Amino acid sequence: MEPAVTRSAPAGAGAPAGAGAPAGAGASTGAGVPPAIELRGLVHGYGGPPVLAGIDLDVAVGRVVALHGPNGAGKTTLLRLLATRLRPVRGHARVLGHDVVRQAHEVRARVATLPVYGGAYGALSGRENLRLGVALRGGGEDAAAVDRALERVGLTAAADHLVRAYSSGMRKRLALARLTLADAPVWLLDEPYAALDEQGQALVDALLAAARDDGRTVLVASHDLPRSLATADAVVEIAGGHLRVMARPTRARGATAAVRGDAAIDGDAPTGGDPPAGAEA
Amino acid sequence: MNDLHAVLWIARKDLLQEARSKAVTVATVFFSAVTLGVLAFAFGENPLLMREGAMGALWVALAFAGVISAAQSWQADLEDGALEALLAWPVPRAAVYLGKLLANWGLMTVLGFVLLPLAGGLYGADVGGGGEVPAALVVAVLLATIAAGTLGFALIAVFYAGLTANLRARESLLPVLMFPVVVPILLAAVRASNALVGSGDLDLAWAWLRLLVGFDLVYAVVCLALFRFVVEA
Repeated sequence: MEPAVTRSAPAGAGAPAGAGAPAGAGASTGAGVPPAIELRGLVHGYGGPPVLAGIDLDVAVGRVVALHGPNGAGKTTLLRLLATRLRPVRGHARVLGHDVVRQAHEVRARVATLPVYGGAYGALSGRENLRLGVALRGGGEDAAAVDRALERVGLTAAADHLVRAYSSGMRKRLALARLTLADAPVWLLDEPYAALDEQGQALVDALLAAARDDGRTVLVASHDLPRSLATADAVVEIAGGHLRVMARPTRARGATAAVRGDAAIDGDAPTGGDPPAGAEA
Repeated sequence: MNDLHAVLWIARKDLLQEARSKAVTVATVFFSAVTLGVLAFAFGENPLLMREGAMGALWVALAFAGVISAAQSWQADLEDGALEALLAWPVPRAAVYLGKLLANWGLMTVLGFVLLPLAGGLYGADVGGGGEVPAALVVAVLLATIAAGTLGFALIAVFYAGLTANLRARESLLPVLMFPVVVPILLAAVRASNALVGSGDLDLAWAWLRLLVGFDLVYAVVCLALFRFVVEA
């Protein structure tokens, strides 16, 4: 049986109106609230052995889950599946009750992504890229919000420079600004710490903390295990096409206590809050 | 969101990028001018042949320039994962297509309007018709023909450029895939243009122009219906 991590929703964090509990998720949710992210028997590959070989996972609303694994393990594939940029070969994935294949547009309206590459247009300025993102997400032309986002990520001075002149760290900061402007209930972050300096990495930590406070659900693919242990409610490893719970941080925090209390771990996953060997490295 | 706003934002984005890089403008103007010049040289000193071949040369120049324009229109989207980010947003796929189409069609139409007097002068063809029909009317229908022809061409070019955008051999595949489909557009556009230039035969031109608009409508419906399969996973 594939491992599954199941957690209850925090108080005040709700599912979208009309989102009923999807089939198969009822037993794994605490108060009848469907999970924010639900994967069932998810299989995907690129012609060879499947990268994802039947993954089951529930992530409750309002939780931050870190996704670890070696290069090529399928972290980005999983995020792209959830962002509707790939279709599963078998199984299904739901985001806030919406199927990523049949209800792709509804999923996109509820998900904000931080791609591993910046995802910005080089011939536009940072400000123009953000305005484009806000407009295409239906946010109109909120110039003040764009200014605030630029200031938050430390790009005010470079806001009107063309992105092609940005360093990779500045591009990542711009992508973080676009993420915050999206105001989506689910964030999918692919290597958010990559290319960032210490200050930028602290900014990501602060954004994750703010996301948790705002009741957002966050799935973070990262190689930075110590940071994941410090910021996430749960750490999950993906390897060999399967998921297993690596660690559930034991920080004294209400949310963490709820995770620990409601967690159900199947299969060969380690139990309790003990990180795997080497997790502290 | 308002889908029309999404279309306009995407078109604006493409045109703004082009205004800054001028990659398409420089390449298409240079290529078109060379094409017109070489064909004029090939026709030699036969005035009749030059006049009758003027509009054919114009559309050959526009067609090849259009391939360059379409291929470039997706290039910026492929850099730095911009297209991946764009398609992860809740933007209707038809809006993405129509936005890129609008920008591409605008550039090609302007190019066609610029090349028309150039071709007329170089080939000694009277773009005012030279007959009993008022020259202004002939020129207006000629401009409409260029707009309708470039629209049909852009409909196909943007669609196939999107289809081949992620392929390594996209530069060679794009013309191979799109030219067989775009031939009816080119034939109708050349016939309508030829009917106007020199003889000012409005009736014949209208017949070909109606056919051209019909092709545009069919291609628009088909491309809009299929485009989401081009960009969806």
